[in-house]
Amino acid sequence: MATAMIAIFATTSLCAQSGPSASDVTNMSVEDLMNMQVTSVSKRSQRIADAAAAVFAITQEDIRRSGARNIPEVLRMVPGLEVARIDENKWAIGSRGFNGRFDDKLLVLIDGRSVYTPLFSGVYWDVEDVPLEDIDRIEVIRGPGATLWGANAVDGVINIITKPAQATQGGMVKAEGGTEQRTADTVSYGDKISDKGFYRVYGKYFDWQSGTNLANQNASDGWHQARGGFRSDWTLSSANALTVQGDVYYSRDGETLTLPTLAAPYSSTFPNTGFYSGGNLLSRWTHSSASSSFSLQAYFDRTNYSDNSLFVDHESVYDIDFQHDFHVGQRHEIVWGAGYRSIQDKNVSSPTVAVTPSQAQYNQFSLFVQDEISFFDKRLRVTVGSKLEHNDFTGFEVEPNIRFLGNISKAQSVWGAISRAVRTPALTEEGLRLNEAVIPAGMPPINSPLPVIAAVYGSSDFKSEDLLAYEVGYRVQVNSSFSADIAAFYNNYTNLRTAEPGMPFVEGSPTPTDLVLPYVAQNKMSGGTYGIEPYFDWKPLPMWKLFGSYSFLRMQIHKNSDSLDNTADLPNGENPEHQGFVRSSLELPKHIEQYLSVRYVSPLPSLNVRGYAALDGGVHWKPMHNLELSFDGENWINNRHIEFVPDFINTIPTVVGRSFHGGITWTYGER
Amino acid sequence: MRILRLIAACLLCTALVTPSYAQTASSNSPEYLIKAGFTYNFAKLIQWPNSAFPQPNSPIVIGILGVDPFGGTLDEVLAGKTVNGRDLVVKHLKWGAPDLKECRILFVSNSEISRLDEIFHLVKGLPVLTIGETPTFARRGGIINFVLEDEKVHFEVNVDAAKEADINISSRLLSLARIIPHTPDGSKAQ
Repeated sequence: MATAMIAIFATTSLCAQSGPSASDVTNMSVEDLMNMQVTSVSKRSQRIADAAAAVFAITQEDIRRSGARNIPEVLRMVPGLEVARIDENKWAIGSRGFNGRFDDKLLVLIDGRSVYTPLFSGVYWDVEDVPLEDIDRIEVIRGPGATLWGANAVDGVINIITKPAQATQGGMVKAEGGTEQRTADTVSYGDKISDKGFYRVYGKYFDWQSGTNLANQNASDGWHQARGGFRSDWTLSSANALTVQGDVYYSRDGETLTLPTLAAPYSSTFPNTGFYSGGNLLSRWTHSSASSSFSLQAYFDRTNYSDNSLFVDHESVYDIDFQHDFHVGQRHEIVWGAGYRSIQDKNVSSPTVAVTPSQAQYNQFSLFVQDEISFFDKRLRVTVGSKLEHNDFTGFEVEPNIRFLGNISKAQSVWGAISRAVRTPALTEEGLRLNEAVIPAGMPPINSPLPVIAAVYGSSDFKSEDLLAYEVGYRVQVNSSFSADIAAFYNNYTNLRTAEPGMPFVEGSPTPTDLVLPYVAQNKMSGGTYGIEPYFDWKPLPMWKLFGSYSFLRMQIHKNSDSLDNTADLPNGENPEHQGFVRSSLELPKHIEQYLSVRYVSPLPSLNVRGYAALDGGVHWKPMHNLELSFDGENWINNRHIEFVPDFINTIPTVVGRSFHGGITWTYGER
Repeated sequence: MRILRLIAACLLCTALVTPSYAQTASSNSPEYLIKAGFTYNFAKLIQWPNSAFPQPNSPIVIGILGVDPFGGTLDEVLAGKTVNGRDLVVKHLKWGAPDLKECRILFVSNSEISRLDEIFHLVKGLPVLTIGETPTFARRGGIINFVLEDEKVHFEVNVDAAKEADINISSRLLSLARIIPHTPDGSKAQ
């Protein structure tokens, strides 16, 4: 992994899929290599060893040598990332703190398409899926990437990149069954359209049975999902390439939900179902010549979410992006780009959740430029750049950064960066009302004659949250079998969201029914976080690979002196201070592979989540070159634990216990 | 402690100034990085006869014959990589080295241009994928030859030579290659 090349800070995700800026040359297909300019490789893609950021790449091989059933489980393999399962279909995934189901500081892209929803600023992890076998790699950047990726790339960026259609010619059928995930079946087929065009189509279905909660009751969180999609890649001429791809999906997600009620016992816990459906279509044209290259990408993404207890929302995103890379002299490599995004939202409220206006359109414009300047025969590279964005809520936002990378020797490098990033308001932070809890009438200290609803409100005064980040890192390749990487950061946040008590008011007409105690979104929290994230990659024997990672995080976030927010809501104790894992993968004779991973996550004291260790492992056997049998287990030691307690929406967490799944994969053709 | 620091400082200085850092022009060159990527892909996309490997987990030995134009890039790129459970081992060879025939991939440097015919004769009938970057390499009996065009790396394949070596080249690779007829004298005759 350490030698992998990663498209970073010299290119946006826009280009990350198009030949020249792909990852490690060994991760590139022949087609990709044929498209690479021999003079401009360093411009568009960089080795991890040459990136001035905390980057990590998961390759297809890593995914294959794991028992991961979905993208969140794949992300458990990333050093420093916090991945916690809330119930079977809900996750809290974050980088460098502020984790939550509605983590708003991590930007996620699939093939250049942002899946960060502007509704609540977060990711619907349950419906962001692709056949794992079709993933080329997942690039993860811890720390801000706002200069290139824009707002909301505050604490991290995840780029999920699928293989070009050329690399998946032929067929694949995979069938899995297990204790938690009852079945998961994928069919994928790729072929040539002409000498210049290739395509792939896929279909996938899975079904999970309900788990249990801490009290050993049925959690009603079973879920099933069906999706299908395609990708086609065309070589229009030697300099021009076109990619067109799209997906559609449907998902039915169960959960056990607690909602406040006005009558005694003032809350109700019941099995609830959410329905998701949607689709997307993306096309990207890339043009490359000896001295420069550009790409133009446009996509449409539709998400329908329907949950009669909570909320119904239809969201359409139209996005167009342009990017241009070129050299000036021997020293300067410049990349600039511009983008426009239109978001159309239409929603239906429930008694618990409402967002106003119920129908609206929002626009975002962005412009960025970045220059990478080389000194001393490229031993020192300095990157400066900035993004300028405009959104309807907070107007203009500027996100500059400066980075340096020094190659101390061929095997060692140091890097550092100072960058600014912003997290722009979500639609909910402007116009939400969410009933969080009901306090019975007559209860001190309020002693209200009516029941009191504590409700979270958005506000048009809510501003962007700001980050100024300082990062340093060091990498070393000790010899061909051992490499290590360490990154450290100090993040200074201002204008973080608080819930400030507003003026109480009486609701209901003609007879008053309740008193509302509003908690209004404001920006009155700030503070620092710091941490250190070392990892190593070691091959003690040719057939044995070890990978180990540890991360430390301390958060010192406090409410400002003018904040009246008296809720216990502070992110400090909601993130693990210590996390670590060791993975071993072994290639045994007769085409048998075995892997084992031990993970530890320290407690989340504010959420009453205890620290836990888990042991995952499995065996994969290829009796024939086109047939693979697999058996995987999660949490073999069966320490039944919960990993997170969600914020805002009170879904009852599901216990993560031991589970097994077995699978059979059959391929033919160039797979 | 102080001594240690002094040593560390010295090492750092040496690393910064010694010529060991200043490598040959080509060693960091994108061209050879790309060619190393191709080499890895070739190892993945071609099939050797079963007889080519004594054991199921025998490594794939990749020899670089003559002056190494990769300048260490190939070793670096392939370090730790495996193909179908086989390790990739890079060896630097001189003409006359006895292990020449054990290579499953033999990269023939331009420095060996004068004895191409001898080399082809030596590995004739053996499951050795010969790769070169000399204009007439494939025509004269080499299996794969890199050519630069429009600042991009393309490759030629001599299908007859591959057949003779009992090496099966995937159709995907062939569809991207320029197929070259075998004309031992190197002429362009059809």
